Amino acid sequence: MLSRSFAIALGVTTLIAVMAGGAASASPDAPADRVLPTSEHTSPKAQSLASKHASALRDLNFDVYHCLPWVEVAKHSIGFFKPRGAPDDKRFLSIRVYIEQDPSPQFANLTFEDRAAAMFSRYVGPLLRRMNRSPGVMNDDAIDGFTVVLEWLKRMPARGTRPVHETIAVFVDKVDADEYLVGRAGSRELATRGHVLAWDGETPRGALKLAAWDDDFVSTFKVKNYQVPSGVTCH
Amino acid sequence: MRSDRWWRLLIIGGTLIATAGCATSEEWQTWNEHPAHFASGTHMGFSVRNREGTSARVTRQDIATSRTEAWWGKPITVSQEQILER
Repeated sequence: MLSRSFAIALGVTTLIAVMAGGAASASPDAPADRVLPTSEHTSPKAQSLASKHASALRDLNFDVYHCLPWVEVAKHSIGFFKPRGAPDDKRFLSIRVYIEQDPSPQFANLTFEDRAAAMFSRYVGPLLRRMNRSPGVMNDDAIDGFTVVLEWLKRMPARGTRPVHETIAVFVDKVDADEYLVGRAGSRELATRGHVLAWDGETPRGALKLAAWDDDFVSTFKVKNYQVPSGVTCH
Repeated sequence: MRSDRWWRLLIIGGTLIATAGCATSEEWQTWNEHPAHFASGTHMGFSVRNREGTSARVTRQDIATSRTEAWWGKPITVSQEQILER
């Protein structure tokens, strides 16, 4: 037979557990697996940067998740990566995103280069600014540069076929990023100075030279009726 | 005696409430295999929250759910390793 005091203690514990669960689910969060864990960076330099700037990486993930909700950050894509084939241990703060947008015949009818230029113009600058929101990142000369990887659906897949993504990877040296961030260069210069590689599905399209422009889409577009959780401020 | 029975009922009820929101590993497995199953449930929640006469609101979770529903299958795309090294 259960004693009354034991029953009361169990009931109270249960109530506290229910309330704690409710409180935890109410606080805004972002999926933690978008950030590459420090231990999975493969060089001492990368691990040191990842550890030093851990909060900036989390903030970047949090900000993109809540403030650009039509953008999906790829798993383990935020971190200090080395551009493939780079001769030294150059470490670029990187992010890879999939951009969800309504299928548009007009967009699909553009040339590959023009689609890439449009995506560059819309997203590279705003993401670069978010990646440098922490003064610690912006002032850290151990960071060699920044990588922004953008991918999007090429066209609506036909029934029974797999969707194909187009991808560009934009590599920007730190000095060029700094010029852009302080306003001494625009998107056009950023595209000229940066190194852009492209893929059509899994097929490399090689290096691209893009004619980019300054586009305010990210700062003006709003998902209809989207409500930013309380406690989140989007700039 | 009647009092003990009341306390037992309270404990059982509390435990049921406490565990109601927790999916078992088997349930997660089912959701992984049938994402639309989960999506339907969330849609119902979305409809209930957005009652007629109130302004509609979309949460980040709603967007994630609609993305799951519109999923056309594993995309053909370049792997991260082709671009960047850890």
